[in-house]
Amino acid sequence: MTTGFEALNAGDTIDGPKFAVSGESIRLFCDASLDYNPLHLDDDYMKGNFGKTHFGGIIMHGMNNFGLISRMITDWAYPLGALHRRLETRWVKPVKPGDTIQPTGVVRSKQVSAKSRWVLIDVMVRNQAGDKVATGEAMVEFPLD
Amino acid sequence: MAQAQGFETDFWKDANLRKVWDDIVPGEPRKSIPYTLTREAIELYCKAVGETHPIYFDEAYARTTRFGGLIAPPAIHILLMFACTPADDWMRSPGTVNAGQSWSYNVPARPNDVITLQARALDKFIKRERLFVVHDNVFFNQRGEVICSGRGWTIRPR
Repeated sequence: MTTGFEALNAGDTIDGPKFAVSGESIRLFCDASLDYNPLHLDDDYMKGNFGKTHFGGIIMHGMNNFGLISRMITDWAYPLGALHRRLETRWVKPVKPGDTIQPTGVVRSKQVSAKSRWVLIDVMVRNQAGDKVATGEAMVEFPLD
Repeated sequence: MAQAQGFETDFWKDANLRKVWDDIVPGEPRKSIPYTLTREAIELYCKAVGETHPIYFDEAYARTTRFGGLIAPPAIHILLMFACTPADDWMRSPGTVNAGQSWSYNVPARPNDVITLQARALDKFIKRERLFVVHDNVFFNQRGEVICSGRGWTIRPR
């Protein structure tokens, strides 16, 4: 589809999927990612202190946020004939079992390069309290072919 | 359980073999191991993040798309990072905290790809009493095509 790019405007929003975080969802992410860091498995270990940081219990993998944002971007881009080309994220706040998180995106700008067209998207993940837990930027290509 | 063959899930077991922040030399390659990405591993990743798009599951549909067949979600590098590194890799040190990552995507990973990783620490520094390492990673398929490349910032345990 070549009309998708023209129809987009800065400020357009993308709603990502709500995701309920639980001990089970975190354990499943361990198995899917092979990341068995005790940060995500061992409540006793997480009652200790990490330098100046105190988590108080297991936390979700930061990359679970990343995977959810990426899911939002691809589910938005594929029907437009577009491709997810880049994602940069920073973790702002830990996510814990019982939280419900949701990624969202806002189109920041459209750019045209020598050989293609690009949409830059500001992304963010919030928890049920509305707190920002992750922020970042994504780049989606709208190929000319 | 669709875990990689022989994958050690107890990250404490080889903890004493892993480099601490002081030992990590920016620029020095990390050991990596080739990994065959299975359809089962892709489906397990999809389940964990709730991916339902048929491009990852439905071969007949996937053949009708620009990709010409099944692909893995772009963020499959989350799995590849651990699948392509040995048990003594410092990314597995208990208490490693991920601060952020950036990834660029080229060609998609596909079921049965034999994937290799070229990786290194790129930088290390101390900021606000925290020990940081920046790591730099490129995943290739069996044809030598870049699947994706990315950089991550981790806070190392003391």
